[in-house]
Amino acid sequence: MMRKKTANKESRLHLLVCAGTGCVANHSFDVKEELEKEIARQGLHKEISVFTTGCQGFCERGPIVIVQPDGIFYQRVSKKDVPFLVEEHLLKGRPVKSLMYEPGPEKLPIPKMNDIGFFKHQRLIVLRNRGRLDPENIDEYIGFEGYQALEKALTKMSPAQIIAEVKNAGLRGRGGAGFRTGLKWELCRNASGRVKYIVCNGDEGDPGAFMDRSVLEADPHSVLEGMIIGAKAIGAQKGFIYVRSEYPLAVKRIKIAIKQAEKYGILGKGILGTDFSFSIDVIQGAGAFVCGEETALMASIQGKVGRPHPRPPYPVEKGLWGKPTNINNVETWANVPMIISRGAKWFSSIGTKGSKGTKIFSLVGKINNTGLVEVPMGITLREVIFDIGGGIPGDKKFKAVQTGGPSGGCIPHDLLDLPIDYESLTEVGSMMGSGGMIVMDENTCMVDVARYFLNFTQQESCGKCPSCRLGTKQMVEILDRITDGKGHKGDIEFLEQIGINTKLSSLCGLGQTAANPVLTTLKYFRKEYELHIFEKQCPALVCKSLISFVIDPDKCSGCTICAKKCPSNAINGEPKKVHTIDQAICIKCGICITVCPEKFKAVRKVSPAVK
Amino acid sequence: MIKLQINDKEVVAKKGESVLEVAQRNNIYIPTLCYYKGLSAYGGCRICLVEVEGYQRPVTACTLPVHEGMKVKTESQLLKKLRRFNLQLILSEHPHACLICNQESECARYQECIQKTPITFGCKFCPSNGDCELQKLVDLLEIKEIPFTFSHRKLEVEKYDPFFERDYNLCILCGRCVRVCNEIRGAGTLDFHHRGPETLVGTAFNLPHLETGCQFCGACVDICPTGALRDRYSKWRGLQDRWVKTSCALCSIGCAIKLNIREDNLVNSAPDDNQICVRGRYGIVPLVYHPKRITTPLLKKGKRLIQVDWKTAMDFLCTKLSEHSGKTGILFSSQLTTEAIDAIGSLRDNFIITALPADNDVRPFSFKDIKSEAVFILLNTDMVSDFSPLLLTLRSRIKTKPIFIVIDAMETQGAKIADFWLRPEPGKEQDLLNQLFARGKTGNRSGVSAGDIAWCKGLLDNKNVYVLYNAFNIENIELPKHVRALPMTSMVNALPISKLHLKNSAIDLLQDQDIDCLYLIGTAPKLNKKYQTIIVQDCFLPGFDLDLFLPAATFTETNGSFVNIEGKSKKLRKAIEPLGYAKPDEWIIEQVRRDLQSSVRTGKIRKKRREKNSNLSRTSKKYPFRLITRENCYTYRGHTLASLLKGFERLRQDNHVWLNKQTAKRLKAHNDTEVMVIGEDISVLLPVMISDQVPDNSVFIYAHQSLGMIKSQPVKIKVVKKQS
Repeated sequence: MMRKKTANKESRLHLLVCAGTGCVANHSFDVKEELEKEIARQGLHKEISVFTTGCQGFCERGPIVIVQPDGIFYQRVSKKDVPFLVEEHLLKGRPVKSLMYEPGPEKLPIPKMNDIGFFKHQRLIVLRNRGRLDPENIDEYIGFEGYQALEKALTKMSPAQIIAEVKNAGLRGRGGAGFRTGLKWELCRNASGRVKYIVCNGDEGDPGAFMDRSVLEADPHSVLEGMIIGAKAIGAQKGFIYVRSEYPLAVKRIKIAIKQAEKYGILGKGILGTDFSFSIDVIQGAGAFVCGEETALMASIQGKVGRPHPRPPYPVEKGLWGKPTNINNVETWANVPMIISRGAKWFSSIGTKGSKGTKIFSLVGKINNTGLVEVPMGITLREVIFDIGGGIPGDKKFKAVQTGGPSGGCIPHDLLDLPIDYESLTEVGSMMGSGGMIVMDENTCMVDVARYFLNFTQQESCGKCPSCRLGTKQMVEILDRITDGKGHKGDIEFLEQIGINTKLSSLCGLGQTAANPVLTTLKYFRKEYELHIFEKQCPALVCKSLISFVIDPDKCSGCTICAKKCPSNAINGEPKKVHTIDQAICIKCGICITVCPEKFKAVRKVSPAVK
Repeated sequence: MIKLQINDKEVVAKKGESVLEVAQRNNIYIPTLCYYKGLSAYGGCRICLVEVEGYQRPVTACTLPVHEGMKVKTESQLLKKLRRFNLQLILSEHPHACLICNQESECARYQECIQKTPITFGCKFCPSNGDCELQKLVDLLEIKEIPFTFSHRKLEVEKYDPFFERDYNLCILCGRCVRVCNEIRGAGTLDFHHRGPETLVGTAFNLPHLETGCQFCGACVDICPTGALRDRYSKWRGLQDRWVKTSCALCSIGCAIKLNIREDNLVNSAPDDNQICVRGRYGIVPLVYHPKRITTPLLKKGKRLIQVDWKTAMDFLCTKLSEHSGKTGILFSSQLTTEAIDAIGSLRDNFIITALPADNDVRPFSFKDIKSEAVFILLNTDMVSDFSPLLLTLRSRIKTKPIFIVIDAMETQGAKIADFWLRPEPGKEQDLLNQLFARGKTGNRSGVSAGDIAWCKGLLDNKNVYVLYNAFNIENIELPKHVRALPMTSMVNALPISKLHLKNSAIDLLQDQDIDCLYLIGTAPKLNKKYQTIIVQDCFLPGFDLDLFLPAATFTETNGSFVNIEGKSKKLRKAIEPLGYAKPDEWIIEQVRRDLQSSVRTGKIRKKRREKNSNLSRTSKKYPFRLITRENCYTYRGHTLASLLKGFERLRQDNHVWLNKQTAKRLKAHNDTEVMVIGEDISVLLPVMISDQVPDNSVFIYAHQSLGMIKSQPVKIKVVKKQS
């Protein structure tokens, strides 16, 4: 249980402990408790305060503790580090180097947060409050100029002016499709009927994506503020926030935020003393990726099965219960307050011609600095992956970056200098999507990647239209065969055909984009497919049916460790004599590679498989 | 008016119409599969894709609303490619062996009867061969091969329910059955299960349809484009080559139906662009060809019945009628043609004539009487089981969605899906009505809680209230002036019979000790005495000995008409020649009239003393249980459908006495225990069926003439010990 702590004005130091899901899973609450205990024990509690904040974004390095006002950044802090940290830094004033971020082996630790590459190159608009406020305390949000944009919108602007501002800012939907937000609001406003709804799409189903989760957990009020401004502009009386139930912390925080906002007269009847009334309900999803699709989402809110319906008619014409409904992503809503308070001109000065503002990406995969990054549109892939991400671990070679989750595509090395925006990504066959960015190195098999994503979309397909339900099934079957060494001539051409047809005739976005991973990997990595099919070779050494584990006779010292650890007794050899792996029995689990001592490194994978 | 272009042709449309509707109206063909007129647009099969100028990709025409200036193309290379793609995918999970086989026409000559094999893996083995929408589309889209791997769902064919089977290996997930069951019938029996490639259609928890409130109306079977849902009986009779439009005479609604015919044999009965019920859908054709149907005149010689020709039969008949002049009674069914009834009426000077059932005070039912903002109180009447097409018409005709409140001590199908169900103690219905329409607080006399009554009173506020009831099931109800009573009857020809102003009732006739001869036309009541001569004119033998049997034609084998509940005359069209030597009832009556000697005159019988109806709720030590009776509306002439057709027996269980667990425990009875149900004037032996639908301390029997003229009253139950 977190106790609400009010700021101690006399504190000379504030310790901000990250309480995003990642750090919480890594026991950051225990770290906080231990800090408070230790600080009290050292008699420092009158001068040093400890707070929890939302996700810092550098999730790989959690638990994270930041010391302000110095901006010292501590990472991977565990409970047992606390006494030393309190004594050394807080009492004696000597920051602890061992807890600081090191950009690489034999490189100096970087004490200040703003000097770390991961943070230096980011431009925080949506995540402006991350790491600096307690998301369960509305006063802190207000303290950081929260709800001032709302006041401006309600008292000094007309709905038409609000919409014009958002239009001129050039904000585009951050959920994936990138539709112009201002235009959508205008269409909804102009739709006939008095009853209107707005919806915040927090279903975030892409595997590996956690941008929306972070925003809801770290700064829920920014989303609420955006929604209230939007409701005023559109003329809606009721809003729904649809969050997937796999995000219990996000659900908890947004509900607390709503309660607090209602208490302060920011939600409910007569907001901020005006005659505008608006209320928000939180609805939880029930485990279906397809419910991130707007028509399925609306069906789910209405208590029906999450099955999409063809569009047109679009939700802005006919949405929830047949009424005009405006649906925007969490990140889109969170952009709105800044646009209103700092103006469209400011917002449109960031980004590229067609894509304004910033975008949050979840940078994951084979990358040194895993986490959430917010960068201006137009930044290149190279900058994100190498300057912010710190490059590929183990000095491996970059192979591809997958953007847009299961709806997106893989972008190869040659396109690393591609500036990131909606159009450029679509042109190369991928898409922005919700912002997933999975980095792949030389040990990633592109055929396997396509198979992985297609497996996902197959299982998540709602089953209504044959294009998606059966089109993805046929593609998965072919990819299964290819990765199993049973590919044959004609498979590639057939895959392409199915992919294109599924793309064109599927009912909803899930089916329409399901083929993208296949089509882009075929476009840029066709050779890899051909090797799988014709040479039965997996160059990345991933596909089990196409690889063999072998012991290099020149390197093996006969230490017998691998033979002892092998779970299927497939390794034979006398002590101090070269060992061999019996290919007929080997189950390719990889334990032998892991246990072979570093100095020998005698076990390796080869492809094609040996007999 | 909205103007748009389809294939460069200017067309006009109304706001809200779909492109498909507009195209069909202008005779522009767009292939479809999951679309069906009257159902909501699903957009799931992806076959009706069209291209629209300015749109990123093709869109389904059935879901696309029209807007001004649209430019639509319904044919193109791309559309053909995508339609083929989707149909081929659909066929990749639908057994299609014969569809693309190049031996198909050769094979056709030798495999006529293979439709009856248990596993369908191609057209030849499918009962819908020749009647399948997939076959039609394959031809249209010129599909010659299916490049996808085929997967069979390996599901067992669902054969455990009566009337129709389900082979979900053939299901293409178009959802038409789901939509018709939910949107049109309101039964809600079918829905999709799971999702993605595991998607299937089925019932809640995969229960048998008998346990889910399925009405077995056959709407899903009719609307299924493939052979996944098919009739069990007609599966064996082949595909029809023509049909005849006629009316269903099994109840007072008289729905329009089509009788499908193949080479002069009836195949099945089906709706005629309307909704019918299980009786009209599955009760007609199996009756006509029933193995127990008698189609030659039979005469008793010694202890046996022998086949005779019509002349012999009529000679015998006329001899006997003369012999018993003044002592002969005719008891005729209302389920004859109006022409037959008129013919019988013309014999009133010669015989004592009674009808079963009969009602001398009949008001036709009129939809015109019903205004919108309506609340219907269904009193002791199961509209869902007995009058479902009427219920559907009420729902659809009245603009504002009417509210249905059911008042019934029994938990009927109607009670289960009503907007509200009030359950009075048996016999306390009038008390409940009084409570409902009274002002202010009322006591708890009827056994319904004050809260429930208050809630229903709220529902009645500012509404037009109509009380619908089957007069057979409840007598003499009193209602305040502002509440309209709409008495209903399941009796066919109620109006013509009432116009006959018959002097005597069936009970009078069957009680009279002086009557020596009974001439039963379409009836088979329980007899209370021995008669010297019994003549039966019907399709099936009754359960008692008789002297002469005259085979009658069913209503599918004769031209004529009958009068329905609205007082309208419904046409009957002869679809096939009468089987064997069967003759229409009016032909037989005409023979009687022609050959009758003028000396035969009618007699007089006493009217049975109308006893005051015993108060059902006044149980006593002698008669501690309450017998609830309801008219059995599932009959044909003298017989219950259940006594003749197995499917109806499973559906209705109307040859049992029903009681609930509590009563069974009290009596120490189990399912099929034989009991005697004894009242002031009834005594009947029946097996038990334990059912939750019956209230405590009560038993239930479907009243049918074969059990005697039983009415609701206090009774005692005696368990009959089996002789070991």
